[in-house]
Amino acid sequence: MATERPESRSMGDRLYDALFHNYVWRSIFRSGYPNTPRNQMLVVATNVFLHLHPTRIHRTHVKITHTYCLGGLSFFLFLGLTITGVLLMFYYVPSVERAYEDILHLEQDVRFGFLMRNLHRWMAHGMVIMVLMHMMRVFYTGAYKPPREFNWVVGVVLLVLTLLLSFTGYLLPWDQLAFWAITVGTNMVGSAPVLGPPNKFAMIGGFEVGPNALIRFYTLHVIGLPLLAATFMAVHFWRIRRDGGLARPL
Amino acid sequence: MVAAAQETAESAAVRAKARRARDEELLVWPDLVFVEFIAAMVFLLALTALSITIDAPLLDRANPAVTPNPSKAPWYFLNLQELLLHMDPALAGVIVPTVALVALGAIPYYDQSNEGQGEWLSTPNAWRLMWIGTAVGSIGSIILILFDASMHVRIYEGLTHGKWPVALNFIRNARSIQNDLPWPAWTRAIDTNPILRTDLLGLPKMDLSINIPELFVAQIIPISLMMGLPIIFSIVLWKMGEAKTRRDHMIAQFAGFIAVYVVLTLVGTAFRGQGMELLPPWLVKPPVS
Ligand code: HEM
Repeated sequence: MATERPESRSMGDRLYDALFHNYVWRSIFRSGYPNTPRNQMLVVATNVFLHLHPTRIHRTHVKITHTYCLGGLSFFLFLGLTITGVLLMFYYVPSVERAYEDILHLEQDVRFGFLMRNLHRWMAHGMVIMVLMHMMRVFYTGAYKPPREFNWVVGVVLLVLTLLLSFTGYLLPWDQLAFWAITVGTNMVGSAPVLGPPNKFAMIGGFEVGPNALIRFYTLHVIGLPLLAATFMAVHFWRIRRDGGLARPL
Repeated sequence: MVAAAQETAESAAVRAKARRARDEELLVWPDLVFVEFIAAMVFLLALTALSITIDAPLLDRANPAVTPNPSKAPWYFLNLQELLLHMDPALAGVIVPTVALVALGAIPYYDQSNEGQGEWLSTPNAWRLMWIGTAVGSIGSIILILFDASMHVRIYEGLTHGKWPVALNFIRNARSIQNDLPWPAWTRAIDTNPILRTDLLGLPKMDLSINIPELFVAQIIPISLMMGLPIIFSIVLWKMGEAKTRRDHMIAQFAGFIAVYVVLTLVGTAFRGQGMELLPPWLVKPPVS
């Protein structure tokens, strides 16, 4: 793709040309450095990550007070949780014998282990808060109105998935806090008449929280629910673009 | 000829309109990408600082034989656990959250107009309705919680230095409607076992006998309040001329819902001590085993 050059070329531009206008760099990034409108649009359109965005956007939507970045930050936290979560998986074995010891080991012996765990924990709380606040901002800006009805429903599904992700992760440290919180939570499900007990049994793989519950929660937490959430996020973002970007007054 | 001229004039107008819209637009790179980058960095730094200073909790190894008092669910479910104290567990734990989520998802299908779209609270009465909803939701739920904790009894006894009148015992709290009213004995146990046979559905045999006073306190009153109060709220707003459109009603109801949600979560998190007793936060001690 052709490269458009800015009118006046600064020191930085020349340096950039010298360093990056070579065969290898251009094989990776199809457009030139984004310092002209043309290249700025190309960089968004040709990069798989950036192309979640449109190339242009209405000026009111760039204002921080329109979205407070809340949806974007929910997504950012989801990505951060995926990265720290993968690192935690290196050290954690979901068995009743090892789970608690693995967490202790992670906190005491693994370099930066405490940081990984703390980040994962606080990001998880943060994501629940961000998603709730994002929902409030969407509501109060009237952004659920036609044609965005269905994306609001997708959002509600994402809210449920976020809560379930957080809840399934809560059991994994296998300490008193984890065990009893999940016991209290699943007892609530079990209390429903007729369908409650079989559902609770299916959730925790038995009558009480034990090894079966741990492996179920773990599997859902590290693969089942993240895949579902990622799928619904893809739909969510796709629909934002399809529905004509963020909502505007008519 | 005329038609063609008209058409070019029209499309020129359309093109002009499109151009004006373009004038209002910014490029995503750099304007939006920059904001996103800064937001991400601020959060990354703040979370890293938080994670260095405050450790995630880790208590003793899980022990099914030792029940901490109180045992609490994660904070975002403490609103439901708070409800659990005031009504039937199935209602609080399953039915209320399900109905709430379905109602939330149904908002756009109820309020289909385009008014107030794309701008913060831009319909005429929006801010006012938001604050009214917040006030009514939070004050209402606080009053109900205090009632169920017999706060009126404590205040009365504190002020008069006397005892709460025995004749009014049945309104000490919600439970006392069940325990302190002279219900005929048969209402407390209506045997349904010959009729309601869960074992015929291939489910475990369950006793679904009916206890009317219990049903009254644990189901009928809570359901009537949870459905009735929002309906009355909307009717009052409508009669007062505050809420005219569906968007108006949705704003008041949504704000009320959020307020109730926040109050229940806060009360469940910070105001419930041992035995889930209602206490001011400074008297709430960490759980004991
Ligand atoms: C994991 C959870 C979620 C993620 C990652 C997410 C992400 C996003 C992002 C990045 C946007 C773009 C605008 C913005 O940042 O505000 C957005 C818009 C939107 N979100 Fe979400 N969202 C989530 C949950 C929800 C929930 C719970 C709802 C509502 C119940 C919702 C409804 C919407 C709607 C209707 C829009 C379009 C807003 C407009 O047109 O102005 N989302 N979402």
